Amino acid sequence: MDKIKKLLKKKVIILDGATGTQLQKLGMPQGACPEIWCLEYPEIISKIHKEYLDVGSDVIYTCSFGANRIKLSQHGEKNIKKVNRDLGLIAKEAAQGKLVAADIGPTGKFVEPYGELKFDEAVDIFGEQVQGLLSAGVDIFVIETMMDIQEARAALIAVKELTDKFTMVTMTYEKDQRTLGGTDPVTALITLQSLGADAVGCNCSMGPQAMVKLIKTMKPYSYVPLVAKPNAGMPKLKAGETFFDMKAGEFSSFGKKFVEAGANILGGCCGTSPEHIKALKKKVSNLKPILPLRKSISALSSARKSIILDKSPNLTIVGESINPTGKKALASQLRQGKTSLVRQLAITQKQQGANLLDVNVGTTGIDEKNTLKEIIKVLSVTNDLPLVIDSSDTAAIEQALRIYPGRALINSISAEKKKTDKLLPLAAKYGAMFIILPLSESGIPKTFKARKEIIQHIFKNAEKFGFSKDDIIVDGLTLSVASHPQCSPETLKVISWCSKSFKVNSIIGLSNISFGMPNRSLINAAFLALAKSRGLSLVIANPQDEKKAGREAAKCRRVKKDKEIIKFLEKFSKIPAPTKKESLKSVPADKKVYRAVLEGNKEDIKGFIEEALSTGFSPDKLVHDIMVPAINKVGDLFDKKEYFLPQLIASAEAMKIAFERLEPLLEKGQLDRGKKTVIILATVKGDIHDIGKNIVALMLKNHGFTVIDLGKDVSSSKIIKEIKKHKTVLVGLSALMTTTMVNMKEVIGLAKEEGLDCRFVVGGAVVTKSYAHSLGAQYAADGVEAVRIAKSLSR
Amino acid sequence: MQVNFFDPLNVAIPVKRVYTRLGYAQGKTKLGPDQKDKIDRFIEEAKGLLNLKGAAGLLTIEEIEARQILLSEKVCFRSKALAELLKGCPQVLLMAATSGDKIIQAIQQDSRGENIMRAVVFDAVASETTDAGLDWITNYFNSQLSRKNMRLTQRRFSAGYGDFSLENQETIHKILELDKIGVSLTFEYLLIPEKTVTAVCGVKDQ
Repeated sequence: MDKIKKLLKKKVIILDGATGTQLQKLGMPQGACPEIWCLEYPEIISKIHKEYLDVGSDVIYTCSFGANRIKLSQHGEKNIKKVNRDLGLIAKEAAQGKLVAADIGPTGKFVEPYGELKFDEAVDIFGEQVQGLLSAGVDIFVIETMMDIQEARAALIAVKELTDKFTMVTMTYEKDQRTLGGTDPVTALITLQSLGADAVGCNCSMGPQAMVKLIKTMKPYSYVPLVAKPNAGMPKLKAGETFFDMKAGEFSSFGKKFVEAGANILGGCCGTSPEHIKALKKKVSNLKPILPLRKSISALSSARKSIILDKSPNLTIVGESINPTGKKALASQLRQGKTSLVRQLAITQKQQGANLLDVNVGTTGIDEKNTLKEIIKVLSVTNDLPLVIDSSDTAAIEQALRIYPGRALINSISAEKKKTDKLLPLAAKYGAMFIILPLSESGIPKTFKARKEIIQHIFKNAEKFGFSKDDIIVDGLTLSVASHPQCSPETLKVISWCSKSFKVNSIIGLSNISFGMPNRSLINAAFLALAKSRGLSLVIANPQDEKKAGREAAKCRRVKKDKEIIKFLEKFSKIPAPTKKESLKSVPADKKVYRAVLEGNKEDIKGFIEEALSTGFSPDKLVHDIMVPAINKVGDLFDKKEYFLPQLIASAEAMKIAFERLEPLLEKGQLDRGKKTVIILATVKGDIHDIGKNIVALMLKNHGFTVIDLGKDVSSSKIIKEIKKHKTVLVGLSALMTTTMVNMKEVIGLAKEEGLDCRFVVGGAVVTKSYAHSLGAQYAADGVEAVRIAKSLSR
Repeated sequence: MQVNFFDPLNVAIPVKRVYTRLGYAQGKTKLGPDQKDKIDRFIEEAKGLLNLKGAAGLLTIEEIEARQILLSEKVCFRSKALAELLKGCPQVLLMAATSGDKIIQAIQQDSRGENIMRAVVFDAVASETTDAGLDWITNYFNSQLSRKNMRLTQRRFSAGYGDFSLENQETIHKILELDKIGVSLTFEYLLIPEKTVTAVCGVKDQ
């Protein structure tokens, strides 16, 4: 460990280049297992190792990329430890004292919750490799070409549970700068460096030009050295073959850019050769590396998203709803092992503005350890907000931390010795941040002074495990103003001290303040405004409360003394509940109806219609002079692409609601002429797609047509039968597949044979104008055009 | 042949592609913040309904003729265009991705008239994300193959297009054991759930 750390301070470390292509050049046949082949021909892999060392590599990788149980079993090899040990020994012998990195690649499987491979099984698989490589005396470890953050975690945990050797982890990113699993570089960095990776970076899948950008993105957040091992450009196609065309000169020209971006360790991946490494070494040997710009970071992550907490001017909101306390339905679902409500709560809280989600499953009759694990797994797949693990069960916390595919926040660690003794080591092992809860075996301290002492005591213990102030968040400890009115000023003092003196993030569980009080929402908002004015960083709350707090902010600035704080909060408990927002009085009712159709406001249009009717507008005027022009305007905007499909439909749906209200009131004969026209719609036989047809039906009804919708997969004979029954002139047919659109011809042909005088309009994704004309039918590309054609055909 | 199952298929919803599919034209379409919020909420809701799964496997090409490709596992595809694509390839990748049934049911329910706007958004999300699922599988196999100095062809074929007839869905369904990821086949060779796509592409040496 010391050797590489010393090197990192002095120079840019050079890794080796591609091995696979070199092996093939030296005779390894296509399709052979490189690891097994190298054991049969050790002199060849040794030659490649030496070539890279001769051109200046400081570190060579063992040829053990695929030497795991899953990959080797495909070739009938079972002695995994021996294979790894022997490959490690070959590299050690070739290295002659230079550094050997034990290479661990992906298994090809995805690890739960993203795949079928159980997490602990993955750790075991990698652990097997690690043991073999350790017995060869390797110097450092590299976990590379990882596309799944959970697999990378499993491999890193496997290494760290067996050795404290320097370990690098490099992920592979696609063109969208995310891994196949959807992890971006900063998120991967936050997770992996906190989990104990000694260096983090990227390899493969892209050339140096694209990879420099990733390094630059990561550098501000990294407290470990950064690694880059790009391909020799992007694969190109020539005469039907793909190849990497970036030569050594061009490849090495990016060396300086990498160093300037912050890379500390450089090498080459697919398509590179000893020439590439030689040229790269030459370009960077005199350059001074930029050491990590920071020592720690206040940040959390999920598999796909990270949140940086330090120096954030905005309050971070922790959604509190995933907590069965007081929620019978949620508690019941959790007991039954169902997760739909949890998923819904996650979606809703995210929509409302939560940045993190608190997850608490503690309730009677539940196996908290396994339930918490399952919920963490479900949320890790269906939601991308980082999670806060909220439990008092240390076994549950441990299992949750192990399976969680990111950097979690533990809620919380108090000064109770049995908690501190168990939770601090766990938080350290899994790289979690944690909330310090200032309570002890003696109970809840009422004063700021007592709370401060506990906080400092817990932090002092935490420092022994390597934690810094960036890794903690202090809970101000909110008690209900109903039962402990004197405590709210003390909580605010804690927050203020954290912000100004102790210089750490702070948090409160907001809803505690109003427990047992009326107007809870108002009290919460008021207290939050007070806390924000003191520098609060995070809040566990209903996200809606944060928005309300903004409105109280100005009043809080004047509230300083303890008595004033208590009075301020008590005042909110007496305020009557706010009335519903008044509608825009200044806007005339008919304009509101017009705008509602234009803007697709189906929620309010019924109310506007009632308002218009009550102020004297006739139903006929509303339909003909307001709504129809509005929907026609929508059609125009759609034609110009100023509106797109969802807006068109929203307007149509708003119109439909209005029309349903007004239709019974309309005078007979006062409807649009089209009302008398019946149109039959159907998706043809064999085709089950009907959404386009349903949109057309909606549009036609809005324009006064009577629509007979026969549904989907409708036989030709049935369509003909309905035409005869309704004596219909107009028929609309829809098909989405080339194999089913031929049935349109059958329908039209049958209608001709039967002597039916009707006009056909056809549409659907595969239908074209020329096909329509070949059938003697009109073509409608969309609902707007369908209405236009229907109107012209019915004149 | 070893079939790789991806359950779940961990693909982010390609939001830009969803908007494009719905007809959004950058620089032309005027979308107010309230309507955008609504559409984005529907997209988020769709995420909770998607149950994206995939399956893929490699077959060895035993013989290619002008209009016919003979593969291992006694598979035979008849298509001139496909034979052209696979010329020079030692292997072929068969793949499939499905959105699952839950989102289809939601689309059908909404499109009966209750909430057609949400139905079209769900429909676009399901279509684009399922296609993105195939992209994901392609990227996955490319990353596996690149270590062996091989790569997939950029083009891929689906049954029902060109001269690669829809009947080939039956073979693909059987070989990839798609029933294991909840996909069935109708007598008309339609895959159910309806947002299920299959594709074939070649493996080339780099």
